[in-house]
Amino acid sequence: MQEPRRNLPRHCGEFPEVAAGVNLEMLMARYQAGDIDAATALIDRASPQLQRFFRAQFATRAAADDLLQETWLQIHRVRHTYRPGEPVLAWFYAIARHVGLDHYRRTRRSADRERKWGEMSRLAAESPVEHDAADQLEALLRPLTRSQREVIEMLKVAGMSLEEVARATSCSVGAVKQKAHRAYTSLRKRTSIVQSGKKPSGAQS
Amino acid sequence: MKDPRVDRLLEEAGGASAAPLDATLRARLAAGIPSPLQPVRPLPPAWILTCGVVLICAAVGIAGAARAGLYGIERLGPWAALPILAVLALLAWLAGEKLVAEMIPGRAHRLSPGALPVIVSGGLLAVFALRFTDYHTDQFLSAGLTCLFTGLAHAVPTAVLLGILLRRGFAVSPVFAGLAGGALAGLAGVTMLELHCANFQALHVLVWHTAVVPVSAAAGAAVGWAVRWREHDSR
Repeated sequence: MQEPRRNLPRHCGEFPEVAAGVNLEMLMARYQAGDIDAATALIDRASPQLQRFFRAQFATRAAADDLLQETWLQIHRVRHTYRPGEPVLAWFYAIARHVGLDHYRRTRRSADRERKWGEMSRLAAESPVEHDAADQLEALLRPLTRSQREVIEMLKVAGMSLEEVARATSCSVGAVKQKAHRAYTSLRKRTSIVQSGKKPSGAQS
Repeated sequence: MKDPRVDRLLEEAGGASAAPLDATLRARLAAGIPSPLQPVRPLPPAWILTCGVVLICAAVGIAGAARAGLYGIERLGPWAALPILAVLALLAWLAGEKLVAEMIPGRAHRLSPGALPVIVSGGLLAVFALRFTDYHTDQFLSAGLTCLFTGLAHAVPTAVLLGILLRRGFAVSPVFAGLAGGALAGLAGVTMLELHCANFQALHVLVWHTAVVPVSAAAGAAVGWAVRWREHDSR
């Protein structure tokens, strides 16, 4: 019997030896058992999504890459906390979110750092080299609050279910639905304003 | 949640695809995993951990009351005490489940973190209001403070034991984990007081016995916050 295909990003087709039949949960169980190939396959499979998640939250590619590396170090340290059979994407995102929040708080604590961060973000946004799909997504999600952004990113980019997003964000399914609804209302308003030719109030130039 | 226009925008912004990983970054990430890779033993199932934390809570409460004297339950009688103990057990299970969920990343959460102390305190207030109807007050403050400190004195060792049991866990939010742990440890204190304290004045029980839970939960959240602060500073 064929296993139902997960809603995975398109890039997963680039790793057919991993994508065919072996799901993330099985890879994670093998990683816990000490299989280094499974660990590498997990990095290949999950990292692009996690990198995109960080890029939607934080502006620069360099910062997203550093956070991704920190996330994998954390994942390695606490890999025993994953329970076989549980949704592994929710577990990954819960750790990634923790790393991201830590980073967010650290940068916010110092006014100098924050200013520097803003300058870095501005420079990154202006840089033609780094202007890719992630920048477009970041610009689209910019008017949303941080929690709404992460919910939309997980639901629509990572293709996670409401239940998985609730697990990753440590809240109830109802709370996720509410955040997604508010985010959609905000995005809908923004698109209406753009289509009617007005400048959106939340958008930054 | 679907809206064709917003979905199209997300799709256009590259929302449905993620760029493949850069080779240098991939090598950097893979280098973080040591070879040979040590196998690890996954945590036990959540229900076993929940049973463990609830048993710790009950053991500390009962042992503390046995040491100080079971005057409360002797005066009240086991049948009259049964609804109180049943509610305590139910609330301890709820708090234990929440604590375990906070210590395992990606666990399903039935309650929002802030709701736990409210639900636990509300449950205690409801059962106490139904069971204790003597509205006289003697030595409200002095007797009350004694009970509050006795309850908190039992919450502290409970919290330490909970920390030992869940040391292999990983709290993605130390503040919320502290809040849940504090609420459960506070319930150990309330259990001890219900078995030991023979002061059945309604206001005494409603105010001072119940207060152990929010005070303990707040202390747990403060400890969690301090842990998070220390982690930030160490980086």
